[in-house]
Amino acid sequence: MKTFSDLIVCEHCDSVYRRQPLPPGAAARCGRCGAILRRAGLDLDRWLALTLAAAIAFVIANVCPVVRISMQGIPNEATLWKSAAALAQGPIACVAVPLALSIIVVPFLQIGLLAWVLAHARAGRRAPGFAPAMRLLVLLRPWSMVEVCLLGILVAVAKLSHLLQVAPGPGLWATAGLMALVTLIANRDVQRLWDLTEPGSNPSGTEA
Amino acid sequence: MNMEPGDPDMIQRRWRVSLIWLVPAAAALIGASMLIQAWLSVGPDIFVTFRTAAGLEAGKTPVKFKDVTVGTVSGIALSEDGSRVVATISLDKRAENLARADTRFWVVRPRIGASGVSGVDTLFSGAYIGVDRGASSDTSRNFTGLEAPPAVPGDMPGKSFVLRTEELGSLDIGSPVYHRRVQVGRVTSYRLDEDGSCVRLQIFVDAPYDRFVTAGTRFWNASGVDVSLGADGIRLKTQSLAAIVSGGIAFATPEYAQGGPAAENAQYLLASDQATAMAPPDGPAQYVRLRFKQPLRGLSVGAPVLFWGVDLGKVVSITLDYDEAAHDFPTVVGVRLYPQRLGRVLEKLPAPDDDPQRRIASFLGAMVDRGLRAQARSANLLTGQLYISIEHVPGAPKVAFDESARPLTIPTVDGKLDRLQEQLANIVGRIDKIPFDAIGKHLDTALIDLRGALTRLNGTLGRIDEQLLPEAAKTLQRAQETLGAVEGVLSEDAPPLRDLSEALKEIQRAARSLRGLTDLLGRHPESLLRGRPDGRAPAIAPAEAPPAPPAVEQRQETSR
Repeated sequence: MKTFSDLIVCEHCDSVYRRQPLPPGAAARCGRCGAILRRAGLDLDRWLALTLAAAIAFVIANVCPVVRISMQGIPNEATLWKSAAALAQGPIACVAVPLALSIIVVPFLQIGLLAWVLAHARAGRRAPGFAPAMRLLVLLRPWSMVEVCLLGILVAVAKLSHLLQVAPGPGLWATAGLMALVTLIANRDVQRLWDLTEPGSNPSGTEA
Repeated sequence: MNMEPGDPDMIQRRWRVSLIWLVPAAAALIGASMLIQAWLSVGPDIFVTFRTAAGLEAGKTPVKFKDVTVGTVSGIALSEDGSRVVATISLDKRAENLARADTRFWVVRPRIGASGVSGVDTLFSGAYIGVDRGASSDTSRNFTGLEAPPAVPGDMPGKSFVLRTEELGSLDIGSPVYHRRVQVGRVTSYRLDEDGSCVRLQIFVDAPYDRFVTAGTRFWNASGVDVSLGADGIRLKTQSLAAIVSGGIAFATPEYAQGGPAAENAQYLLASDQATAMAPPDGPAQYVRLRFKQPLRGLSVGAPVLFWGVDLGKVVSITLDYDEAAHDFPTVVGVRLYPQRLGRVLEKLPAPDDDPQRRIASFLGAMVDRGLRAQARSANLLTGQLYISIEHVPGAPKVAFDESARPLTIPTVDGKLDRLQEQLANIVGRIDKIPFDAIGKHLDTALIDLRGALTRLNGTLGRIDEQLLPEAAKTLQRAQETLGAVEGVLSEDAPPLRDLSEALKEIQRAARSLRGLTDLLGRHPESLLRGRPDGRAPAIAPAEAPPAPPAVEQRQETSR
């Protein structure tokens, strides 16, 4: 079966266009419905760099305590893992599973898959298992909820600070950084990787 | 010829470092710095065993030194034999030097004791492990936790001393130590001596009071209440309420035993009371044997031995012997004498030898020659208790004294006891001779006579009741009437009184006029002949002014 990878289809009105190289900062718009077809996103180099940064932030966020509370001089710390484990002990243990999935497992898979794919793409080839990885990335995107988690932590810190001494830990800053980085690297432009790794395309990733 | 320049070889740089790589680099740097910091702040892990893990929680229970958190309990496990609990403590890096060989660990929990309440804050915050840093230069990883907080923090200035005592009594760890009723220290530990013969108490006296403990200092048990009945009445001595409840130790230094401050861990005896403690030292004891021919009922081990009225020792043994020649049972009494109690007498004794034993032996020999004898005397007539008295007995028969015999034997005289019993028998015999029967009979007849007299007295009283009482009533009634009449005469508005009052007023007025006249005459004697100089009334002294207005007075004067 012939595939037309040099064509692009508007996902809103199904109009077909020819793919144009995009200069940095430019965007292609559908002439029929006005939807953005594609943007000139990050080049491969930056993408990979940010992915690595996200990986480091992810490690810090999971290892370091997110909040440190102290009551009557007795301190206690909680990491993301501990909070999930604490939920699993309580009466709402079933909440622990989606929590662990959305703030730990899904971001981990996203970053891992992206790093795998991008590292190969930067070397100018498609990674083994490229297609399932790409499908999984699209599938995972709605389930990555680091930003929701961060919001929840901030609300908890604000509320608890009336009752206890609450100090944000290094994990909180790492989570904030992770949130920004994941939003940057795992947005809906992931499909651009198909183009970037098209055999015969510019391996450096710049589409100019 | 083709003159076109050729193309240079293009070399593609494989790695173009863009600024975006600074982002992961910064992230990695932050991560690495946190790792290094965490690695640097991790101190040693130490293991402390406790009897129970009550209140301890792995990962939460903090370890505090001077109320500063220096680590946390990272794990709790049973020891291999299951007898104790091993708490793994992760010390902070900066608290590394706490892990010394003699550092002490204990669990701070709420405790209520006789000497106060401690650890109340842990009611809310949960237990924590307290640390007291040791002074040793050796480090250690394994410690045995204390079950109670140490009585004295390790860096507290002061000195420890060791006291030996017969028994612990009510003393306990933390019992106070007093000097002049000021608490200056406390008992830090106690243990039985290795051979179990005494209790060794370790006490700690805080600086600067530790310098009051000198080589001659005496310690005594100040527990409870000391009641003594003396010539000046009952005396009740206590140190403090806490000492009554939980026991205590007091110390003082006698005037005659001053000295420099004692060394650390100096040993002292703990006396049972202040009097014993402050008594001069007894010095070495001298065992002496006494042989009595009479039975000594009432003499007990511990009975005092008096020399010239001074308590010189005590009886330590009473045994019966058998004299084959005389077929009787002499009593052999062993006494322990403390010659040092004689004080200055000892210095004045002749000293033929440096050996104190022989010195005393020769002294005793000389004294026995002059009639020194031991006697059993009655200390208490009611209970029949005996004591030993060593005194000169005038007219005692000569007895040979062996100075080289060990133990020394002081000759005895009997008799005082028998004489006493004889006298008592005499008294009882005389009491026996009193004719109690005859006295009883006389008493009986006398009582019968008394009864007759009382009956007669009763009759007389009855007559008085019948005849005299109505008369008396009448007399009284009449007296009452008379008194009523007198009252009528003397009442305020009675006519004779009113008249009297008027007459008195008249006399008062006449007296006032007379005084005016004498005043006038005093000032103007000529007016007696010439009449008034100005025809005016004389001034009347204001202090003597009558209640009536002066104008009226003037008119009265002029009208006169």
